[in-house]
Amino acid sequence: MATAVKQPTTKQGPTRQRKAGLASSNRSVVWLSGLACGVLAAIAPGTATVAAGLLAPGVVALRLDREPGRPVARAVLTCGLAGCVHPVTTLWNTGQSFETAIAIVTDPTTIGIAWSAAAAGWLLTQIAPLAVRVALEAVALARATRLRAARSRIAEAWGLDGASNNE
Amino acid sequence: MADLPEQNSGTLIGGQYLVDVTRRLPDAGGGVMAFAASSLRTSAFPLMALRVDRHAPARPRTLHNLVTRVEGLLTPLAHGIGPPIDGQAAWFVICQAPAGSPVSSGLRPWPETTLIEFVMRPIAAVLEQLQARGITHRGIRPNNVFQTQPNRPVTLGAAWSAPAAMHQPAVCETAYTALCHPAARGEGRTADDVYALGVLLVTLALGRPAMDGADDRTIMYRKLELGDFVAITGGERLPPILYDLTRGMLAEDPDHRPPPALLRDPSGARGRRVAARPASRAQRSFKIGAITVWNNRTLALAMALDPAEALIAIQGGTLMYWLRRGLGDSGLAVKLEELVRQNAQDTLTDKETALSLLTMRAITDADLLMPLCWRGLAIFPDGLGPVLAAALENEPGLQRNLHDIVNSEVQGIWAAMREERAPSGPQRLEARQRRAVLQIKGPAGGLPRLTYTLNPIIPCASALVGGRWITSLTDLAPALDAIATTTPDADLLEPRIAAFIGARSERLLDGEVQALGHEGEAADRVLATLKLLTELQNRFHPAVMKGVTAWIAARSQSLVERWKNRERRAAVDAQLTALAALGFLQPILFLLQDQAGHAADLEGLRSARASVAEIDAELNQIADGGVLRAAFATRLGQEIAAGAGLAALAITLILAAMG
Repeated sequence: MATAVKQPTTKQGPTRQRKAGLASSNRSVVWLSGLACGVLAAIAPGTATVAAGLLAPGVVALRLDREPGRPVARAVLTCGLAGCVHPVTTLWNTGQSFETAIAIVTDPTTIGIAWSAAAAGWLLTQIAPLAVRVALEAVALARATRLRAARSRIAEAWGLDGASNNE
Repeated sequence: MADLPEQNSGTLIGGQYLVDVTRRLPDAGGGVMAFAASSLRTSAFPLMALRVDRHAPARPRTLHNLVTRVEGLLTPLAHGIGPPIDGQAAWFVICQAPAGSPVSSGLRPWPETTLIEFVMRPIAAVLEQLQARGITHRGIRPNNVFQTQPNRPVTLGAAWSAPAAMHQPAVCETAYTALCHPAARGEGRTADDVYALGVLLVTLALGRPAMDGADDRTIMYRKLELGDFVAITGGERLPPILYDLTRGMLAEDPDHRPPPALLRDPSGARGRRVAARPASRAQRSFKIGAITVWNNRTLALAMALDPAEALIAIQGGTLMYWLRRGLGDSGLAVKLEELVRQNAQDTLTDKETALSLLTMRAITDADLLMPLCWRGLAIFPDGLGPVLAAALENEPGLQRNLHDIVNSEVQGIWAAMREERAPSGPQRLEARQRRAVLQIKGPAGGLPRLTYTLNPIIPCASALVGGRWITSLTDLAPALDAIATTTPDADLLEPRIAAFIGARSERLLDGEVQALGHEGEAADRVLATLKLLTELQNRFHPAVMKGVTAWIAARSQSLVERWKNRERRAAVDAQLTALAALGFLQPILFLLQDQAGHAADLEGLRSARASVAEIDAELNQIADGGVLRAAFATRLGQEIAAGAGLAALAITLILAAMG
């Protein structure tokens, strides 16, 4: 009879296990995504071709964006998807043939619009934080000015000039 | 007198006596400056006014106790400020003027019966009455005894306008009293008056001044060396009855002199013989300084007059050697050796004081009748008040000696050594009380305070009051106002004025006066000054004092600055200026001592400080929050971008669905 041998546990044990769990779940998602793409390509090769061609910037962004939640990829994908809606609708209305899909994907206007939408999404992720930052700094500056004025009034009224070093 | 000029009414003394300072009475005062005086009411006798010196106070207890007229005595009637002399305010004692001339004028030998009947018996009757009232005369001398015409009883002159015995010549006093500072001879005893009467009788019997031509030091020395009677009579023959009487009256020991009641019956007084042991004389003399010592009495005198030389002789042991071998007084030698031993063991007292105490004890041991002798100064303790008043007249050396006497309670030590003559308990208690007054802290304490306390009618001795004669706080308040008006930079509550207020306020202003002595911030001192001046105005001079209010307003900046709120401070400053112009101190005190207002002000200050701290914290937070804001902006911007993408997707889907 074989006897069960207990593995020695260390403090790092649970962390390693958690990391290992995450890696295996990511791997599962990749496998599932690949499976879904394979199924899509098998069932609707036209739609898959159009989607692959038009959403290529999104896929690249998804690949390059390493930030938690992938905010850039999300914006690029959603904007790219918005640019894909009309070509996909056109494909579906014309029978979803592979030749039609190739024609749509190779149409410079269609692909330009889709990729521009994706670019607009990327651009938005770059501009929106700056705009918000500018707005926040303006609010802080105005608040500081009001506070300094109030402080000067109080110091003047109560002779707290010695406390003005903090200004 | 009803038609007196109206402007003179302000210088009436006691409400009815008027002094004519243009009419001097050269012989009436017995050496004191005297002027003619008159009464608004009818007076049965002529009057005179005796001028009181600023630093030689009149005798308050005597003036108080002598309220009814004594036959044969120039009785005091009133006292107070009279018309100025040479522009200086003057204080006078009003009393009867002598009807005749002093017996010193045209001296000739008087018959024995006349002396007994018209000099000795009338003066003895006066002394008896004074003794019954608990007072002494201390002014019996030839120029202060008056006779209207021959074979009439003499009248005893006034002795009320100066410290007791101050104007007595050395011959009229015992050597012990003559040795003292003129102002420090003390009220003494009736026996001292009997002694002076004895000298007067001898003078009149001889028809010439006794011991004429001798200086004070010689007079004292001869009295102590030869005995008072022999020294004063100079070996001259006296009539037999007078011889017996004056021999008793000039006894060295006051206890051996006949009382006044006995002198009224000359036969009885003559028969009273008290045997006093004469001082033994040494076979060879001893020199202390320039004085040749033959007995213990002259030894005491020499040590009192030259304490430095005496100390050398004591510490070197030469004096004790002479006492044993020369004088044969081993007992005194042992006492002095014991004093030297005690002095060597005394490590607590400072050296100068210890040596002065050693000398004082040695003098008292040598002769128990000697006054308190301290570094060449001799006083009787009951004369401390007047001599303090004299010391205020710019005599720092005298002030220092008196300060040390009181501070070391020398009076108690001196009295304890004379326990066999008088109980020392009261003297020790008095010494302690005087020391307590001396040690009052602050400007209202010290020697000035003790001086005013012991001299209830001397004027304020501050240089600020100048020639004014101020004896009460009622007079002081307007004087301070005038001083503050003319010299705004003056220190109104300088020590002599503060001490005067403390002594004359009869405990009404004790708290305020004591507060002057508390050390603290400048604002606290100004507040203490303001409180005292306010009480002074409220209680003693409830009238406008614009000079004082302006003076205090000029010094109240530190009090105004206690208000932290600048607006409030400016308002208080403006109010202070307005109130100062009104001339009353109480509203100024209310304004500057507004406790509720100060509490609210401090609360406001605390609140302001808290607000400033909050603002500073928030400003720091804003300054340090750039990174946080940047992170937040990035996060929010990305969310906005994602939201915009979703919105675009949603719109295109809806548009696609709608065809």
